Amino acid sequence: MFRRSSTRFALAALGATVVAVTVAAQAVPPGLVTSQELLAGLPADGSRWVMFGGSYTNQRHSPLTQITPDNVTRLVPQWTFQTDISGSRFETTPLLRDNVLYVTGPLSTAWAIDARTGREIWRYKRELPPTGTLTACCGLVNKGFGVLGDRLFMTTLDAHLVALNMKTGGVVWDVAMADYKQGYASTIAPLVVKDKVIVGVAGGEFGIRGFIDAYDVKTGNRAWRFYTIPGPGEPGNDTWAGDSWQRGGASVWVTGAYDPEINLLYYGIGNPGPDYHSESRKGDNLYSDSIVALDADTGTLRWHYQFTPHDLHDWDATEVPVLADLTIAGQPRKVVMFANRNGFYYTLDRTNGKVIVAKPYVVTTWAKEVDSNGRPILLPGNIPDEKGSLTCPDVTGGTNFWPPSFDPAQRLFFVNAREVCATYYAWRQEYVPGERYTGGAGQRARGPDQRAYGALRAIDPTTGERRWEFEYISPSTSGLLSTASGVIFSGDAEGNFLAIDARNGKFLWRYQMGSALHGTSALTYMLDGRQHVLVPAGTTLTAWALPDVQRVPSTR
Amino acid sequence: MKWICTALTVFFLAVTHMVAQDLFVTIPAVPTKNPLEGNAEAITAGMGAYRVRCADCHGMDARGIRGPDITQVWAKGRTDAALFSTIHNGVPGTEMPAFPAPRTSDVDVWRILAYLKTMAAPAPDGPPRGNAGAGENVFAANCMGCHRVGERGGNLGPDLSRIGIARARAAMARQIRGTVADFRTGYEPVTLTTPGGQEIRGVKKNEDLFSVQVMDNRERIQGYLREDMRSVTNEKKSAMPTFGSDKLSDEQLDDLLTYLETLQGNKPAQSEGNR
Repeated sequence: MFRRSSTRFALAALGATVVAVTVAAQAVPPGLVTSQELLAGLPADGSRWVMFGGSYTNQRHSPLTQITPDNVTRLVPQWTFQTDISGSRFETTPLLRDNVLYVTGPLSTAWAIDARTGREIWRYKRELPPTGTLTACCGLVNKGFGVLGDRLFMTTLDAHLVALNMKTGGVVWDVAMADYKQGYASTIAPLVVKDKVIVGVAGGEFGIRGFIDAYDVKTGNRAWRFYTIPGPGEPGNDTWAGDSWQRGGASVWVTGAYDPEINLLYYGIGNPGPDYHSESRKGDNLYSDSIVALDADTGTLRWHYQFTPHDLHDWDATEVPVLADLTIAGQPRKVVMFANRNGFYYTLDRTNGKVIVAKPYVVTTWAKEVDSNGRPILLPGNIPDEKGSLTCPDVTGGTNFWPPSFDPAQRLFFVNAREVCATYYAWRQEYVPGERYTGGAGQRARGPDQRAYGALRAIDPTTGERRWEFEYISPSTSGLLSTASGVIFSGDAEGNFLAIDARNGKFLWRYQMGSALHGTSALTYMLDGRQHVLVPAGTTLTAWALPDVQRVPSTR
Repeated sequence: MKWICTALTVFFLAVTHMVAQDLFVTIPAVPTKNPLEGNAEAITAGMGAYRVRCADCHGMDARGIRGPDITQVWAKGRTDAALFSTIHNGVPGTEMPAFPAPRTSDVDVWRILAYLKTMAAPAPDGPPRGNAGAGENVFAANCMGCHRVGERGGNLGPDLSRIGIARARAAMARQIRGTVADFRTGYEPVTLTTPGGQEIRGVKKNEDLFSVQVMDNRERIQGYLREDMRSVTNEKKSAMPTFGSDKLSDEQLDDLLTYLETLQGNKPAQSEGNR
């Protein structure tokens, strides 16, 4: 027994020596992606982008300054990559490491792409069940990779989590998070924290019971699960009438934020189901439409705040939470900022979930205000029924999953907002496993007196006041990227990729991409001495850079 | 004993074979009659689904906006099964999309039809007033400058080659008399003013923040940058003139409507079975 394990130890030590020697033989290897790298977020040299929001704060604000409001008009395309997958589109945030892009696409595909040329290095394509059996409500999409070590992590439409070899795209491990036949799917970009991969499940329109999971990066073993709907005996279960908690939805499909100092994860939770006909689920329906703060090691709930108690309008709180440290009323505050689908912008104290600011950032007719306890004061006439009731915002909401950005120097929160109202209908519906379970629907209000449009808005997070706006002719679903040089990259619904001045909202530059940036943000990084901007739009990725900047090939 | 075993084996294999051939599985054919017709719960659910998925094109009252009037589909002889198929499969070559599973289950389709049935209108009594031949002349004199039927006519207004299917007679009468405004996408009137003060009038085919694509009144299709124009104005009045009784007598209107009802488009032979 002793001998055998000592032999094994010797072999392992020999293996380690071989690896060490090989590594030492190379000049300056980029090495494995480390936890330190994840903690550092976006580096000043622009050499990488290794998580969904750029950093754990989800600020999507790059320190790069080569591209400025003055020279952005000179951007020229470097290359375009096409997926050749028709009928579905990018909703992803690509990652960049060591001059290689790691990109997830529709139908659980993924690529490693040479960032210099747009040429494919490897491709992963999952064998999925027949698409007719998949239950993703709103497109067979994916929002991006997480990464640690030499592994990429990706969720799949059949509700699995897979780890891929960064060098080859080969599957390292593959775990089922839930049964896709019961209405579960997963599209979320994983967040890697320490030695765990944090993910969630979609299916809020299919009668699921949502959860957030953590998996061991090495083995794929599940470390913890947080059900977003408490079970019997747990606090909050009594906010669901009868057994409605079993199929109450509360999905998790947008990547959260992480505060390493207090070791808390922040995730927005999806709508309760059935979405519109709520008789069967009397109560507040925790933790639907909430933000939850979880201990990253154990998944234990530290606090929660529910934006929309007993939601009747499908207002998932699946927008991107953004962290920052601000001075408010003379006090330093650790906050989480959240522009919600329900039409309110919130600044919360991220240590305890208390509301600091709650103010509508679009026309909002369902609630007058948020009271001192953080509860919305409802306005009458906003309960969906068979005849339909008009409420603002519409189902898609004041904003949605497309990422906002935050400029810490100007202290401004940027968001693509929508001004749309809807007639909401509700009817009783029986639950059938795996089938849509919404109990109604919302129809966008139309007509001469119902102008639907969108705007990029700059919000002061200390007051909720609007600093400026840039108006679109129709609602945009594009995410944002801002830079330290004062450029915001956005998109409109008509397919224009846009550069806007972050100081005043003035238009700077545009390019017609042929498809809208739907849910995607541009990415920026340095490559061979030139700042690049990468745009996922429709079925293409296009890289841009300034033509007159000397290329300095990295010699690594 | 041995023969019993053999017989059992044969029987077992036969059963296995039959199962494999789906002989025991009854595949329900699409019912010829809506199983949910008159079902109150289905009608309610169907109403919601109709309003959300169909009303944009067919109107809340099902009398047609961009899509056809569908209150008279039964009166015109279409069957439940054919209507089911139309919703399920869509109408190729038109704007009518397919509503396949899993997004739309069979039950969803029957619910929509159950609701639609509550709005069904009877076929008009007796032969319609008016003379189609005379109506064609009215059309040639008043409408053909902008509207096309088959190979003939203008392009500024919508093609009317299948308007007889797409609109009920009463809806067409309202439109011609000008009692309802029509601002169909692609036909919204717009006026562009050049820096020199010249006006370009036409209908808007597309637009974005920076540009507008128009067909001008001479049918030239062209895109313009907003920055090149002094102004781009969306007109409040429809490009379709109104024809009051001073321009078109009741008798002429009846003739015209009768002619328009004969316009059924080019019906491919294979689509007949679907009607």
